[in-house]
Amino acid sequence: MTKTPSDLSFATKDVPSALMRQTLLDRDLVRAVDRPVVRLLPWLNIVAIGGRSIIDRGRDALEPIVEVLRGELGTHRMLILTGAGIRGRHVLGVGLDLGLPTGVLAGLISTEAEQNGHLLAALLAEDGVSYLSHTTVAHQLSIHLAGAPAAVSNAFPPYELYELPPEIGKIPPHRSDTGAFLLADAYGAARTIYVKDVDGVMTHDPAGPGPGEPELIERISVDDLRAMDLPSLPIDSLVLELMTRAKHQKEIQIVNGLEPENIARALRGEPVGTIIHV
Amino acid sequence: MADDETRGALESLLMSRSLGDRELMEASEAAPDYRILPDVTVLKIGGQSLIDRGRAAVYPLVEELVSIKRSHPILIGTGGGTRARHAYSLAAELGLPTGVLTDVGVAVAGQNATMLGHLMARHGVPVVGGSAMGALPLYLAECGAAIFSGMPPYDMWQRVPTEGVIPPYRTDAGCYLIAEVYGAKNMIFVKDEDGLYTANPKTNPDAELIREITVDELIAMDLPDLIIERPVLELMRRARHAKSVQIINGLRPGLISRALQGEHVGTIISAA
Repeated sequence: MTKTPSDLSFATKDVPSALMRQTLLDRDLVRAVDRPVVRLLPWLNIVAIGGRSIIDRGRDALEPIVEVLRGELGTHRMLILTGAGIRGRHVLGVGLDLGLPTGVLAGLISTEAEQNGHLLAALLAEDGVSYLSHTTVAHQLSIHLAGAPAAVSNAFPPYELYELPPEIGKIPPHRSDTGAFLLADAYGAARTIYVKDVDGVMTHDPAGPGPGEPELIERISVDDLRAMDLPSLPIDSLVLELMTRAKHQKEIQIVNGLEPENIARALRGEPVGTIIHV
Repeated sequence: MADDETRGALESLLMSRSLGDRELMEASEAAPDYRILPDVTVLKIGGQSLIDRGRAAVYPLVEELVSIKRSHPILIGTGGGTRARHAYSLAAELGLPTGVLTDVGVAVAGQNATMLGHLMARHGVPVVGGSAMGALPLYLAECGAAIFSGMPPYDMWQRVPTEGVIPPYRTDAGCYLIAEVYGAKNMIFVKDEDGLYTANPKTNPDAELIREITVDELIAMDLPDLIIERPVLELMRRARHAKSVQIINGLRPGLISRALQGEHVGTIISAA
């Protein structure tokens, strides 16, 4: 059949590429462009400071942590990320009550994590540490960490209006633990350290029932940890799910920031706290 | 009052539990669902399927959009298309991560939004994005339409696919999420086929049109190729507002208006 002029005029103006005219949804066709992913910032250390677990405790917990972080400046290049904490819970409560959707709630809670970041950055300002916005972290982190020993940002991912609805209920599923992990993996960071108020993952909940004294798990695989089906974990379980697909971050470390020297040890690569691996 | 009790329980869980706590997540289910823009229809205009075809496809489309915007407020999201595919392929070959590809995708869909914006400028239609989304209600009230880049701004935080590096949440997902978060009336994907087929009709002559299907049925069919991004199906299962979407052919004049009037003119996919 010969093409009519109208068929021709409808023709797409293509740019030749391996993916040209594809829907990008046929798994076999897309595989053609698979390559190993490079680590963009292999020297980067991501240090995620818990909102509820650390920052809400105020000066007693934060000042010693700031001292330890200050001591590590110049030795380890760090992006310090902050969680939201109690004000995030409050704004979620108000937003839920008003009937607002998950995407709006995500923006509201993320603002609190950002504020915590500003507070922490202010404490390290004299050492050359500043707060960076999401856009700067995504595009100019390299120059900032070439010119400064560390930077601070919001641990939440910039999903906001585009937050994915959760499986159950309306609470935004991509929060600070997940945001820190996704960013670490995209940059191919050296390590991801979660600073919380517990020693790590325990064999059972210290407050709950269980056989004898709970013990610290020093090293565990994602599969084994999931099989334990613990009632609560010090990090969001979504991180474990994402770890199984990660390109680089095959390991994360959870340390107790109430003994802040743990952070320095983790930065040096010591097996303190709990290491979860793929 | 039971409502007060539910609210009290939710608030105490919010203050005491981890945000991933199952009981807390279940309690949040009881919160009311407020539709922010209940009269708006989100239209996704395909990049490869429509805009890359240039004037022949885009001029009639613009005419139709202009003719309907006064009676049906529309939010127009744009796809990426052939340049996005070129950039994805180049970036993947260089070993760059999904986050970098996402950013490129945002830019390409943004170019398409810019072009559509200039064509619709004389009719008062603005291009919005980022914090300007806050002024959306004003634009819709003033002129009945606004244009946005369909790619979600996940940037370096985009979730990685199981295989490879192509961003899994692209412009179909971005437009769908906007319909869901605003509680829009309809979500319509405007493409260059009459709807969803059992295979890619461009490469497989035996492909058959599916007029209506549920998300569960479609997932069970596990088609090797699809006219809509797969993650949208999973999102639809979880949706509170956008529980059905229609895929229509934007090369056939008049179909957008008919779909906006509630007619079934393409494929309707609904969450069971």
